[in-house]
Amino acid sequence: MKRSISMLLVVVVSLALALTGCSGEKQGESTESQITIGIPQDIEDSLDPHKAVAAGTEEVYFNIYEGLVKPDSDGNLIPALASDYTVSPDQTTYTFTIRDGVKFHSGKELTVDDVVYSLKRCSNPDDPVLLQAGMTGIESIAAADDSTVVVTLKEPNADFLCEMTAAIIPQSNEDPDHVSDGTGPYKFVSHSPQESFVLEKYDEYWGEPAHIEKVTLKVCANADSLVMELNGGSIDMMARVTSTQADQLSDDFNVLEGTMNLVQALYLNNAAKPFDDVRVRQALCYAVDRQNILDLTSDGHGTIIGSSMYPAFGKYYMEELSDYYPHDVEKAKALLAEAGYEDGFTFTIKVPSNYTQHVEVAQVIADQLKAVGVDARIQLIEWETWLSDVYSGRNFEGTVVGLDASTLAASSMLLRFNSDNSKNFVNYNNPDYDAAYSRAVSTTDDARRTEAYQECERILTETAANVYVQDLAEFVALNKKYAGYEFYPLYIQNFASLYIVEE
Amino acid sequence: MKYVGRKILTMLFTLLLVSFLVFLCFTVIPGDPAIARLGTDATPEAIEMLREEMGLNRPFLVRYADWLLSFARGNFGDSYSYSMSVADLLLDKVPITLAMSLMSIAMIVVISIPLGLYTARHEGSVIDKLIYALNQVIMAVPPFFSGILITLLFGIFLKLFTPGGYVSYTTDVTGFLGYLFFPSIAIALPKIAMTVKLLRSELIEEKKQDYARTAYSRGNHTGGVLYKHVLKNAMLPIITFLGMAFTDMIAGSIVVEQVFSIPGIGRILLTSISRRDYPVVMAVVVCLAAVVIVVNGVIDIIYQWIDPRIRLEGEKS
Repeated sequence: MKRSISMLLVVVVSLALALTGCSGEKQGESTESQITIGIPQDIEDSLDPHKAVAAGTEEVYFNIYEGLVKPDSDGNLIPALASDYTVSPDQTTYTFTIRDGVKFHSGKELTVDDVVYSLKRCSNPDDPVLLQAGMTGIESIAAADDSTVVVTLKEPNADFLCEMTAAIIPQSNEDPDHVSDGTGPYKFVSHSPQESFVLEKYDEYWGEPAHIEKVTLKVCANADSLVMELNGGSIDMMARVTSTQADQLSDDFNVLEGTMNLVQALYLNNAAKPFDDVRVRQALCYAVDRQNILDLTSDGHGTIIGSSMYPAFGKYYMEELSDYYPHDVEKAKALLAEAGYEDGFTFTIKVPSNYTQHVEVAQVIADQLKAVGVDARIQLIEWETWLSDVYSGRNFEGTVVGLDASTLAASSMLLRFNSDNSKNFVNYNNPDYDAAYSRAVSTTDDARRTEAYQECERILTETAANVYVQDLAEFVALNKKYAGYEFYPLYIQNFASLYIVEE
Repeated sequence: MKYVGRKILTMLFTLLLVSFLVFLCFTVIPGDPAIARLGTDATPEAIEMLREEMGLNRPFLVRYADWLLSFARGNFGDSYSYSMSVADLLLDKVPITLAMSLMSIAMIVVISIPLGLYTARHEGSVIDKLIYALNQVIMAVPPFFSGILITLLFGIFLKLFTPGGYVSYTTDVTGFLGYLFFPSIAIALPKIAMTVKLLRSELIEEKKQDYARTAYSRGNHTGGVLYKHVLKNAMLPIITFLGMAFTDMIAGSIVVEQVFSIPGIGRILLTSISRRDYPVVMAVVVCLAAVVIVVNGVIDIIYQWIDPRIRLEGEKS
């Protein structure tokens, strides 16, 4: 009896020792300033900036690579690797003066050859993987002298400057997939898949240097343990937390509110029955109570929108469209009856299950549609299945997602609704729209172009291309030890503006 | 010798079957690796080019044969989503999951065998009843849930570790083991409960056998009989159970890795499945299957070592 009790004791004591032995061992505080930032998905693409496609990758690469111009936090394009640029009056010739004394992270000096090489590399139509979406219609890219690069276009394109944010990489880099060499305020240090992606401040940066020496990006794929990791102190910052998560954060955190800059909508397959009938689509628009969606899913945060454009687009955005379809159940029923669906119908909404914010909105919409007799069934699918089935395969009836823009050119939101566009996954087909769009891209007059783009937006709203909902509110959790976070109207996280608060 | 040869052949056939089924699964489920990699910016031309590059346009059987041949030569191929070879990707992750599984198995052995002996010896006592009740509760709690409770208790309240503060073994081995200690508890807990219960009932059963009574009647000390004779006989089913538990724990760690944000094999497997990164998934699944098969083989050997009767039968056949 005695021996067995002592045996038990030994087990308990050794367990307790093991527990305390491995506790409390705080790692020695280094003098180097650093921050750990959570990211929802790993940086999975190659280190080649021209191959980066995931929004989560591009927003990080913003800190490592730079183009001739880059967006500031208001979305205006400011000179970056080009110290100056001029655009010919006919908007076909863009002349860039390359900034003096810019060095790549490898120590190599930036030359016009690197610029010409990079721009040619990502505008070559024979290499569809490297080709950047807007880099078409280029006549020639050439160096005029040691510090000037001239880009000539086949046709005038007022939005072309937006494409000049394309990363410039050195010609001498033979393996851009695995060797990172950029000019940004941070340089790449290491990447351990699913674990961490480490950046270090680049001391010889040409512009205003970053404040924090070391930035570690940590993958936090599990939304449930995220709050625990933030409160526990293993992550200092996380962008795009939900309002529920934000409520659970401890006093150590500031929650900053911005907008996600995307167009969240119930996207409808305009070629599938019954959505090929404009009255049915309009009926759904009337049946949905947008304010109620915002109240139920995000405590009223977010901006209601009525077309494929969000407020950050400034002059292109039309606020008046946001209440074009007020909540009106009777009108919705009347429209449905007119279209021959007085008894309603059944359809399926496919939603990528990893996006909680879209799943929640889909649920509220499905509930609201019951009032007009429409039975919407929600089918949760994986993001990869969404990409292949819904987006590429166009095999769906309705889907709730948010579409973002890669640049602040109106075309990046509106191009896809042209009837023959390869990204027109909603199969929107309207000759009036195509005409208005081509009028917008062909004119060089800014006022007329803006007017034509607005015409496009209005057509989308009037023909109820999709059930537009909102530009979601974005919450950023930032430990009170840090400050300086800036919201961008695009998918960008600028680490260089972050700094440590002196206590 | 014939016996060993036949055994190895069955093992290889099992592996072949597993690999074929997994490969088949990926051709059936929706999702395309090229589209998954290119995302919403994909143009049809880019998708086509990438599909060609990944060799996805070839017929299913050709792709399978190709994979099998290079796998047999030890070449796991390249990951679709990471620009690195599958072998490099996994080699970094194996020590993490392995360390966690070994730690849990050590906990199971160290804790459950003494506890099992104690409860069997003091059958019906208050402590026995208490442990019995506790066992029932712990057995019913799945590791991911006990993981959350452990994080809450040791991480948030007692601050013994930082939740999500995983430290890589390349930078700090003590910190690494210290962090893995807690998820290991989560994995080990239900298995400990099961082992204690199993050992207790086995011991009580064996205690009633004639040989035990004979040993007692010859004046042996209670403890001596229990540890020397009864335990040895009761251990056979326990070893089978531990072997199964070990393979089960490697699979179970996939869930626990998520709860504790550990970038091990499980995390890689999950993301690779969703990214349709077949080369990685194939390598992980086939290697896990191989581990299960090998562990079962090892159990057979331990069996023979403990129980000579099995050894003799094996030699006869």
